[in-house]
Amino acid sequence: MKTQDILKCLKANKNLSAYQLIENEKDSRELFYVLDHLEINRAVKTTTTIIVVYVNHQDYTGSSTITVTSGDDEKSLNKKIKDAIVKAKAVKNAYYPALPEIKENIVDKNQDKYDLNSIANNVAKAVFKANKYDSGWLNSTEIFVSTIRTKFFDSNNVKHDVRKFNISVEVIPTWANSKEEIELYKWYETSDINYSEITKEIDELLLNAKDRSEAKKLKDVKLPKDLKVLVKNDMLDLILDTFAEDINLRSVFYKQNHYNKNDLVSDNKLSLTLKPVVKGCSASSKIDNNGMVLKNTKIISDGKVKKLWGDNRFAYYLKQDPTGNIPVKELDGERFDYSKDKHLIIENFSSPQLDEASGYWGGEVRLAKYFDGKKYIPLTSFSISGNIYEDFKNVKLSKEEVKHPSYKGPKYLIFEGVKIH
Amino acid sequence: MLNKFLKSKIKTAKSLVKDLRKTYDYVSILGSHVLTKRISVGTANTSIDEIEGECGFVIKVYRDGRYSEYSCDDISDLKANDVIKALTLKDAFTSEFNVKMLEEKEHVEDYLREDKDDISNDEIVKRLTEIKDTMHKNAKVINTNCAYVKRQVSKIFVSEKKCLTQKYDWINAMLIVVTRDKDNIKTNYHAEGEASSLKALNLLKKNSSNVLDIAVRLLDAKPIKPGKYTIITDPSISGLIAHEAFGHGVEMDMFVKNRAKAKDYIGKYVASPIVDMYDGAAGVISSASYFFDDDGIEASKTQIIKKGILQTGISDSLSALTLGTKPTGNGRRESYKRKVYTRMTNTYFGKGKDKLDDMIKSVKHGYFLFQTNNGMEDPKNWQIQCTASYGLEIKDGKFTGKIVTPVVISGYVVDLLSSISMVSDSVKVIGSGMCGKGHKEWVYVSDGGPYLKAEAKLG
Repeated sequence: MKTQDILKCLKANKNLSAYQLIENEKDSRELFYVLDHLEINRAVKTTTTIIVVYVNHQDYTGSSTITVTSGDDEKSLNKKIKDAIVKAKAVKNAYYPALPEIKENIVDKNQDKYDLNSIANNVAKAVFKANKYDSGWLNSTEIFVSTIRTKFFDSNNVKHDVRKFNISVEVIPTWANSKEEIELYKWYETSDINYSEITKEIDELLLNAKDRSEAKKLKDVKLPKDLKVLVKNDMLDLILDTFAEDINLRSVFYKQNHYNKNDLVSDNKLSLTLKPVVKGCSASSKIDNNGMVLKNTKIISDGKVKKLWGDNRFAYYLKQDPTGNIPVKELDGERFDYSKDKHLIIENFSSPQLDEASGYWGGEVRLAKYFDGKKYIPLTSFSISGNIYEDFKNVKLSKEEVKHPSYKGPKYLIFEGVKIH
Repeated sequence: MLNKFLKSKIKTAKSLVKDLRKTYDYVSILGSHVLTKRISVGTANTSIDEIEGECGFVIKVYRDGRYSEYSCDDISDLKANDVIKALTLKDAFTSEFNVKMLEEKEHVEDYLREDKDDISNDEIVKRLTEIKDTMHKNAKVINTNCAYVKRQVSKIFVSEKKCLTQKYDWINAMLIVVTRDKDNIKTNYHAEGEASSLKALNLLKKNSSNVLDIAVRLLDAKPIKPGKYTIITDPSISGLIAHEAFGHGVEMDMFVKNRAKAKDYIGKYVASPIVDMYDGAAGVISSASYFFDDDGIEASKTQIIKKGILQTGISDSLSALTLGTKPTGNGRRESYKRKVYTRMTNTYFGKGKDKLDDMIKSVKHGYFLFQTNNGMEDPKNWQIQCTASYGLEIKDGKFTGKIVTPVVISGYVVDLLSSISMVSDSVKVIGSGMCGKGHKEWVYVSDGGPYLKAEAKLG
């Protein structure tokens, strides 16, 4: 069904109090390699259409979500809307304004036409340019290049039309030593077309695989007490997500938060700012799923909680200003030069663990690099653990900068007192 | 009944296959429709949603030694040329490579397995509300969420020689309880998976008091002192070990990429001689029990480990073709928008002869581990990491009353499986999980097994 026809059905129904319509059009080209052989190529052209129907009844706000599919016509959609209204009336959530106040419509002027097949092929060339070692190679590579157009409408006549471009690469590098082959895993994602950066990332990963092939076991190395432990990538994301979610209005409303406004999170006077758009961060978005137009919001300042953040509903319950769901975190603060001290860089966890309720964090390490004051020694097959709410009090930030899909800031978080076992 | 929209497109699919066969040597079309009803009753939130998470098609073609796929929402107005244009690559970066072409036998069949105890939304809300209210009678409970999820899956598979349809339902009922004592916050959960709505909801109610009891006890839990211990695993942790150890490890698309050490261990001991292990959509009725996979291959049951010896792997049709083996019906997609991979279905250890009481009595010092939190495999190097939500200490064959959380099992897969010294005499398969490949491609899986006694590194 055309968007205008769907809106017509929604507008014609007088039994609903409000609605939101979100359409995501995805166009993607995908290449799947075994070694450097292209095994399969894929094209994806799909549209996902979601409608949220709201009904205010007595002192309640009820809602129900439905989807519009290619099988729908006017008759079937009208029935879905009617059924959704019945369901929304059975939902007795305490009243909140269904739609946030939105004062502007966002329409992306960037109408760039991307030749997705050509870009995907160039990404492949950039990836395999790094595949230059005799003992190391890329065993498996998957490349995804996509554009996503999101159209948002609500019953207050808000109309957004935003576009995103994304490159994602999954690679499994392998390295062979005289005894065995070992491998690592990497998911790389960006919204920039920068082929040389892709080659650099893959090359670094292959060299990490080499390190793992030469890695020693913990029992073979004597580590000093109170060693500085540096974490990066997905563990860094997990830690910052945990602190941000802890002071989300939803967590506060449900009393699942460890911190509140003005509480001290870290003795380090660091700051954490939520940003809708950061160049190169592929999670960037000017609007959230409620159509809210997002703005930079500092949630931690000088190590203390400055602002609770979150969506319209929980902001209303807690009498706070809604910020919307802002996708990118930017961390900043005094930087620390760890390079001369003995330290342990955790390059890869099997699967980073963090239990937000108890604060337990850690996991089994696939590759770490121990700097003994003179040189780096690769280590594997051990674990680290700690309590993030304790350990974050003394966290330090590295000087190097990175960007992840939803993060910009120091490359490493530096901890002391973490258990290594 | 099969989804009406998909049913109405079988003729169109046959016609499109015929048109595309003029250009390609092999063509198949998979149509997929998934309707999910989710009813959730929480401390301050109720929701009733009915979402068609999937409704679309994927067209698979073969030419010049390579496969290509086109995913779209509808095939009604799709022209063969649209597909050809989107899938034609100019100067594709690749070394020379020839994948063989899939050969098929004639197969026309319709399959059906539906929920016979459908319950009204009002009744479901009432039952979930009762459980939620019971949880909140305890003052330490700060938040509860109780949910019912019913997935109704319809699929069609059309090629020159095949025309298959299937419709099956699966129901999950879940409970999450959050407790708090000052700054100490703990969470416990429980999930049931059944082919019947009534059974799933009844079982959730039956188990809800234990969920609450553990959620409260967890407030006194301490972290475990890292070290090597004797463990007894409940069926969920046994299943997690099966899944991570020799589930991912025997997915044969990993054999094609030379990414799985298991390839070199077929016919060799990888576990204690009292260990049997299986995978298969046809093995048991659970969350991953379909009739044919996303390659149009009939479901089967594969014995992966027999008396401690690795027997074989599981495969999608393309991996089997490359390796010269018979496909096992394990080709699965996250949705019609994604590629097919070799994936696990229902993965579980077989039963043994031991009584659980005897297993507990035989432990000098160790932990009884409960409830899957998460896990990660390393098929190439056979490292494993499995996290249990909590453990109960056992000393001299008796529970001490001490509870620890969370508990991370890590180590070398063969060391762990070879240390299994007792296997209980009953099996439970839990159909409430999801599994990713790498860090994406999420599909519904079940896993389980008997209680196992083993030696493991805990942290």
